[in-house]
Amino acid sequence: MWELVARSLEASTIFLFAALGELIDQRSGVLNVGLEGLMLFGGTAAFITAQTTGSHALGFLAGLTLGGLLGLGHGFFSITLRGDQVVSGMGLWILSFGLTTYLGSPYTGPLGLGRIPSLWGLSPFFPLGVALVAITWLLLFRTGLGLAIRSAGENPAAAEASGIPVTSIRFLCVALGGMLAGLSGATYTLSYNPVWNYNFLMGWGFVSLALVFFSMWNPWILLAGASLFGIMWQLSLSPELILPGVLSRYVWRTVPFAITIPILCIISTPWFRTRWGLAKPEALGRPYAKG
Amino acid sequence: MRLGRYELTLEPRPARPAIFTALTAVVAILLALALSSFLFLSSDTRLIDAYRAVFSYAFFNPHGVLATVHRSIYLLFCTYAFLVPFRAGLWNIGLPGQVYAGGLAAFAVPFVLRTHNPQTLALPPGLLIVLMIAAAAAAGAATGGFAGLLRAKLQVNEILVTMMLNSILFWLVAYMIKEGGPFMSATGEGESFGLPSSLHAPLLLGVPVTAVLALCVAVLLDLLFAKTALGYRIRAFGENPAAARYGGIIPVALSLLVFLLGGAFAALAGYHYFAAVPGVYKIPGNYGYYGDLGFYGIIAALIARGSSLGAVPIVVLFAGLSVGARFAQGELRLPFGVDYALLGLLMMTFVASHVLYHFRFGWRRIPSEALQPVPTELPRG
Amino acid sequence: MSPPDLAPTEPILAARGITKRFPGVLALDHVDLEIQAGEIHAVLGQNGAGKTTLMNILFGLLQPDEGALYLREQRIRFRSPHDALARGIGMVHQTRRLVSAHTVLENIALGHPRTRGFLNLRSTRLEVEALGNRYGFTVPLGARVWQLSEGERQWVEILKALYRGAEILILDEPTAALTPPEVKTLLAGLQTLVRDHGVTVLLVTHKLPIVMAVSHRVTVLRSGRVVARLRTADAAEESLVQHMIGRDIAFRTMNRSAEMGRPLLQVEQLSAFNDKGLLALRGVSFSLREGEVLGVAGVTGNGQEELAQVLAGLRPAASGRVRLDGRDVTRLSPLQRWRMGVGYIPAERIEVASIATFSLVENTALNYHFDPAFIRRGLLDNAGLEQLTQRIVTTYNVKAPSQYARAQHLSGGNLQKLILGRVLSRNPRLLIAHLPTQGLDVEAAAFVRATLVEATAEGAAVLLISEDLDEILSLSDWVAPIYEGRFGAIIPRAEAGAETVGAMMAGVGMKEAGVR
Repeated sequence: MWELVARSLEASTIFLFAALGELIDQRSGVLNVGLEGLMLFGGTAAFITAQTTGSHALGFLAGLTLGGLLGLGHGFFSITLRGDQVVSGMGLWILSFGLTTYLGSPYTGPLGLGRIPSLWGLSPFFPLGVALVAITWLLLFRTGLGLAIRSAGENPAAAEASGIPVTSIRFLCVALGGMLAGLSGATYTLSYNPVWNYNFLMGWGFVSLALVFFSMWNPWILLAGASLFGIMWQLSLSPELILPGVLSRYVWRTVPFAITIPILCIISTPWFRTRWGLAKPEALGRPYAKG
Repeated sequence: MRLGRYELTLEPRPARPAIFTALTAVVAILLALALSSFLFLSSDTRLIDAYRAVFSYAFFNPHGVLATVHRSIYLLFCTYAFLVPFRAGLWNIGLPGQVYAGGLAAFAVPFVLRTHNPQTLALPPGLLIVLMIAAAAAAGAATGGFAGLLRAKLQVNEILVTMMLNSILFWLVAYMIKEGGPFMSATGEGESFGLPSSLHAPLLLGVPVTAVLALCVAVLLDLLFAKTALGYRIRAFGENPAAARYGGIIPVALSLLVFLLGGAFAALAGYHYFAAVPGVYKIPGNYGYYGDLGFYGIIAALIARGSSLGAVPIVVLFAGLSVGARFAQGELRLPFGVDYALLGLLMMTFVASHVLYHFRFGWRRIPSEALQPVPTELPRG
Repeated sequence: MSPPDLAPTEPILAARGITKRFPGVLALDHVDLEIQAGEIHAVLGQNGAGKTTLMNILFGLLQPDEGALYLREQRIRFRSPHDALARGIGMVHQTRRLVSAHTVLENIALGHPRTRGFLNLRSTRLEVEALGNRYGFTVPLGARVWQLSEGERQWVEILKALYRGAEILILDEPTAALTPPEVKTLLAGLQTLVRDHGVTVLLVTHKLPIVMAVSHRVTVLRSGRVVARLRTADAAEESLVQHMIGRDIAFRTMNRSAEMGRPLLQVEQLSAFNDKGLLALRGVSFSLREGEVLGVAGVTGNGQEELAQVLAGLRPAASGRVRLDGRDVTRLSPLQRWRMGVGYIPAERIEVASIATFSLVENTALNYHFDPAFIRRGLLDNAGLEQLTQRIVTTYNVKAPSQYARAQHLSGGNLQKLILGRVLSRNPRLLIAHLPTQGLDVEAAAFVRATLVEATAEGAAVLLISEDLDEILSLSDWVAPIYEGRFGAIIPRAEAGAETVGAMMAGVGMKEAGVR
């Protein structure tokens, strides 16, 4: 049982890292729907680097770097060029989906390195994730930089008039968000499931994106949501632990996705939006032109 | 950006003539092809031979040409499936899911109406084929319409919903055709039962009838957007939903409509590949590959900038490239996924061309006065 | 009021030879401006005279193409508002630059050098409270900005600028969205700041009475050039008007031969929620006859937008009833109302009333794509639409490169004329015109007003919603001041004085909303 819980919590960290990055992005007003692409690229880069160098640390570094770079690419398109953020995000995703399939295919198979040591069977990434949630919360709600980030996402014109460099703040956030997405991908390929396969994520990134909307842009609620989905995901992989012999295992695989849709609907109802929806950054997805 | 005495700026382009639109599309495709040369670097073959291998198989080899035609039809339907909602400003990335839904519904018709004797059918085959096509379109429309309805009624993000539906339907197909699922073939190989030969879609000159349908739709869609009131409403809604509402357009009906249409087109793509292509006539174990191919439809629609007629040559080229790349991959012992890499490269060059489409670079000489160092920090008081 | 020493001293802030070009427009042409310490300096000019551009340059939001700024006679360059703020210049923009989801305190702390690193809102609160006490005004620091009135929001911005250490305050059209009593409070407060605390105020406005009431000196801008520089005490109101406009355009009351027709519209106890889910329109009742104009006077954000949208069918009514020709239309769709002859000119020309990337012809189709006269077997009659557009362009004097130019290339005035022409060409029986002349130059505004009058002569009933009291009083048969979603009263024009209506716009003397 503990093994299942530990495994679920490790799965949650993958949702958590990526969604936390996206949360920071969105708090500054930038929407990145290509989150899954950043994770794919980060994970693949981490896997290839770790396998060639034999070092987990270098692998994670590669994942972080590539995620950050792709995040900056999204920033260039959506912040500097004020392009459509959905076009750029979708572009990043399909780009990553296509290129990682090609670049990673010679490496298909297990990583072949030792497992990353665990603490009582629990992956060290879970406590790291909790720490990152606390840090993100502190950053957003208890520092001047956080106030600047939130203001850039709510009303960039007001922030600029207060002397906040909105463009730089947003670039900082997309870089941070990209790095976290890269970390998420790397955690998947180096620790959670160290076997490379094409399109290994199969929708984790999009679930993470949905989690950000569920979280009402609050890191602590995000932690709860990610944990819940981690458990659900793990159960959908091994339903026989709870309900042996009921339904095909394939049907269970649909559950996390199927549950996401009604939750998305609930948070989109006028009833929910007028009560809780004020948390949505007002300038989310809207390019900002100075002056 | 400052470079010496000059300033480099990005300025919005005031007007974009049609020829310019076509030119950006051509440039984007050529650039992606040029970039794809790095895919061939790992092989021992010379670059020119690699390209020759791709193109000669896709467009001159008898087997290759047929494969290109089949794939073109498939991709055309996928393109329409993305294109129609896109003209209304909505993103249907649920092509794989709707393709699977179409395939499942098409195969459900002979499955439900089968008799105990496998050689006889409950209804005449001609009627069954029509029923299969109708069932596929209905299932795809329902899958797409579900996302459209949620978008229209509750403003639920359609990207997330269609993506979730992709995953759900992917696993549903696995359930149906694998490990003892209802549609599993008698041999138990993780693929669906094969269609009896009487239910194969009729061929015209070796090409399935779906080809006629695909080309007719291209013309009809072009007319729809250029001439009809409905097309005008879809475009108006896509450009400015608030203005469309002000003008009396009903957003719920429109979002639902475009997703119903989009879903039905994607399902026809599914019907085409699983029930109309000679040599297939089943849902194969690697059905996920066809779902992934659907994303070529997204890029084709984007590069064609929403023009269904403009998308036809682009789709034929993409179909040939993906077929030829798969062939060259085996021939030249390249790593798996050359066709996927091309997908990624096309997307990258599309986004780059998108920038050039909307902006142009401007050079401006900075007046010498402005270059003089001016203190920004002064002692206070 | 004791004017400061007006002997020519060293200016505290000066702009010399400022030129700024935008694509196709020379916004500022070698403008000089000098501001003395401790004065209220007014910059007077019409819309489009270049006032806001000049202020944005003084505040570092824009960079001049030519010319330079001088602070205490030292040449200085502001690369961003940050530099201006650091040098003691604060700006209060025409539209509020506050984060409405944040508290007042968070807004004041935003961008302050003290907020580097961890936020210490408790100490900020004490400091801001002390500052407020010193200058003699208080704002609820814990409240969220969206909960405040427009007047309070403005004080938040002023307090924020002062907390940043501003010694020079730039206020861009500070009275634009205020009710008359709020204006009085603001002006008195500004005078106190200048007199007792040595603050210098740069006041940008197109409202002459305000300039006359509080300023010490005035600079008049016209079409990007300085046309006059005077001591206010020496200035005559008429001459300032002439400087500002360039010739005499008196604001005259529109004379119409009002022949009231049959009753057309009855609105009973109409209420509606705004986008935040708050009740913004609270039980409004009125009736309107053919050929009549009801002017709804109020400061934006008092439920006018909701009223217009509910009547146009774009927003559901929370309660109450709307009857057109005696028929209950409360639940009808926008399309059904268009067909019944309801025409709507929204305040948002670009965001709602037009499609920027569509041509003029396609924009005309926005009100015609459902009209059987322009559809044949599902196809739009493009030739017919072209003719119609041509007629609108000629009749309403829309200046456009061609019928197939995109709407985004039209100026605000021309776009508004196109929209007006398109709506009026449907011969609406009820016309809802929301801020129809906002942001237009004097001539375009006069044209729009004259067109509205013409429409009533042809029997249309007009609901005119405006912030401009003069406009309301010159056009309306009935005046209804609106405040917090309620009508103060419905007054016949003959009895409607600017004083009483202005007071009701501010919620003073609200009578029970009466049904006429």
